[in-house]
Amino acid sequence: MSILELNKATIRFGGLVAVNEVSFSLNKGDLFGLIGPNGAGKTTCFNLITGVYKPTSGDIFFNGTAITGTPSNKIAKLGICRTFQNIRLFKALSVLENVVVGGFLRHETGLFSALTYLPGSIKETEKLRADAMELLKVVNLEQVAHVRSADLSYGMQRRLEIARAMATGPELLLLDEPAAGMNPLEKEELLKMVRKIRDEHGMTVLLIEHDMRFVMNLCERIVVLDHGEEIAQGPPSAIRNDPKVIAAYLGEAV
Amino acid sequence: MKFWIIRILSIVGAIGGCFAIQGIAHTQNDYTQRLIILAGLYVTLAVSLNLINGITGQFSIGHAAFYQVGAYLSGFLSVRFFQSAHLPPMVWLFCMMLAGAAAAAVAGLVVGLPSLRLKGDYLAIVTLGFGEIIRIQVQNTPALGGSYGLNVEPKIQSTAFVWLLAVLCVAVCRNLLKTAHGLPFLAVREDEVASSAMGVNVTRIKVSAFILGSAFAGAAGALLASYEGFITPATFAMDVSFIILTMVVLGGTGSITGSVISAMFLSYLPEYLRGLKDSGGGPLTLSGGTVIAWMVAVVTTVAVIRWIYSDGGRPRLQRFYGLIGAIVGGFVVQLAVGTGLNHINKLHDAKVEVGQLRMVIFAMTLIVLMLLRPQGVFAHHEFSWNWVSKLFKRGKGATA
Ligand SMILES: Nc1ncnc2c1ncn2[C@@H]1O[C@H](COP(=O)(O)OP(=O)(O)OP(=O)(O)O)[C@@H](O)[C@H]1O
Ligand SMILES: [Mg+2]
Repeated sequence: MSILELNKATIRFGGLVAVNEVSFSLNKGDLFGLIGPNGAGKTTCFNLITGVYKPTSGDIFFNGTAITGTPSNKIAKLGICRTFQNIRLFKALSVLENVVVGGFLRHETGLFSALTYLPGSIKETEKLRADAMELLKVVNLEQVAHVRSADLSYGMQRRLEIARAMATGPELLLLDEPAAGMNPLEKEELLKMVRKIRDEHGMTVLLIEHDMRFVMNLCERIVVLDHGEEIAQGPPSAIRNDPKVIAAYLGEAV
Repeated sequence: MKFWIIRILSIVGAIGGCFAIQGIAHTQNDYTQRLIILAGLYVTLAVSLNLINGITGQFSIGHAAFYQVGAYLSGFLSVRFFQSAHLPPMVWLFCMMLAGAAAAAVAGLVVGLPSLRLKGDYLAIVTLGFGEIIRIQVQNTPALGGSYGLNVEPKIQSTAFVWLLAVLCVAVCRNLLKTAHGLPFLAVREDEVASSAMGVNVTRIKVSAFILGSAFAGAAGALLASYEGFITPATFAMDVSFIILTMVVLGGTGSITGSVISAMFLSYLPEYLRGLKDSGGGPLTLSGGTVIAWMVAVVTTVAVIRWIYSDGGRPRLQRFYGLIGAIVGGFVVQLAVGTGLNHINKLHDAKVEVGQLRMVIFAMTLIVLMLLRPQGVFAHHEFSWNWVSKLFKRGKGATA
């Protein structure tokens, strides 16, 4: 059974059809790429899946149940978490605290226990911080755990976004242009990191990326959007030679 | 085990401290006692508003409304039921605090639920409007004394309770920030979209902050009512909300330490100003020329300081001398402009009592702060022993 399925998902903003009857499905353990020129509707797809917007029509299924129109925070609890193209960290919080926010949805003690500083909530806090520290090791940020997240370099902020999303313990991880703004060396590391996330942490990954070399090297299957429409789908080798894709990226090497 | 010993000791210590404050207050005259009580109430109000505005990042400017709800409900209950309840006064006062807190919490929920979907300015307008609605409603309710006010019987005065509430409020906020539970509150302040993508129920967090903050304000209101023995709608006018807001902003939105210190400072400042005497023993007055000169001096000093600090490349020492120079220069400007203006008869003869300039001074303080340190005196920082020892070490390092 597919872990995620979009069935003719469509959203209109006024006259603009940002995503038009897009259908694709991911199997558990996929490394799946979502590509397309600027303004193709990729981020909007993420927003539909994570409940930021409700589709005008069409359905989205996660593990077989419809999640169309479910609010964001519930989607995260169901097991889908994402990063943002325009980095959205909790700037004033430390690197570690950012990740703890991600892990917080698994908390068990109530607010009262925290307000009265009971041992239960203290232990839980320690546990969440320890878990967060483990995740920071995965993305190589344990050295800067106590730095204010806004003070990190661009590449580090992107990796922190990944760690924060992973902290929610998702089955499906959505990465919106994780390599944007990274230098070639950082990209190389990121590539390995994403593979590791899939192989060792067992998460299914759907990622948007403009760097074609990156996508083609990493993803096993790719879907291509253009002007909100799906124009191709398949393994990298097929996508690379697809005339429609080449036309959409006219002039750019694919 | 050790945990509980420390816990019990600190609770006992806090209670002891509050009764010590009461002991000290009782050796003072009524006026000073009142100052000590008001300071405690303002600490509660500022710290609880800080939970809403600073920690959770909402912009409520009607905090006095919840203060009023607590005051009037407890006042009303006292008048009606104290006689028949046959409870010792202190127990009754405690019940009134709970009642005031509960009523204000309900009010917080009623205002919060529909309006917390609004952001920034819109929420501010709703809270402001709510404050005015409550005040005017009370003004037109004969059962609550209308605009004449409500006589609260019995008058129960307890400095210890006031400060216990303040300590409790600080402790609750501090505990929240010390555990992981505080992080979603801060996360909502930082970025709502990202928070909900991480599974945080944003509305629930905001409403929790609103309810909790309002409840503390309500409890403070109950204490005020029973302390004063008399409350009128004017006690809770809009400017009270603004004063509380000023306290939070001045201290640094988000900093509990900042709220506590600026609440004490700003509740004392107007009384201090009112208490200033001239050589003849009457209230200290300033001429119009002098007041204008002060404003000119403050504005120019601030402008110069901003200019000095706008160039980050300047060496530290140079900036420091520049700062001193700007302040000294400010006084010189004040003297010169003041002397000049006071030659104009009209400006010389127009006298203002310093105590009356309270709101002007608040406003000037805020403007200066916004220009020089928009994050507030304490910014996001909190007092901690760790921090003190670091400061101490840094000091020693410099001399060594
Ligand atoms: N909230 C919105 N209101 C109106 N139009 C929107 C909204 N969100 C997205 N759009 C429009 O939808 C289209 C697709 O946007 P989207 O951000 O999904 O593109 P993208 O494929 O992620 O592009 P990029 O590679 O530049 O990130 C754009 O034309 C954009 O202007
Ligand atoms: Mg995008």
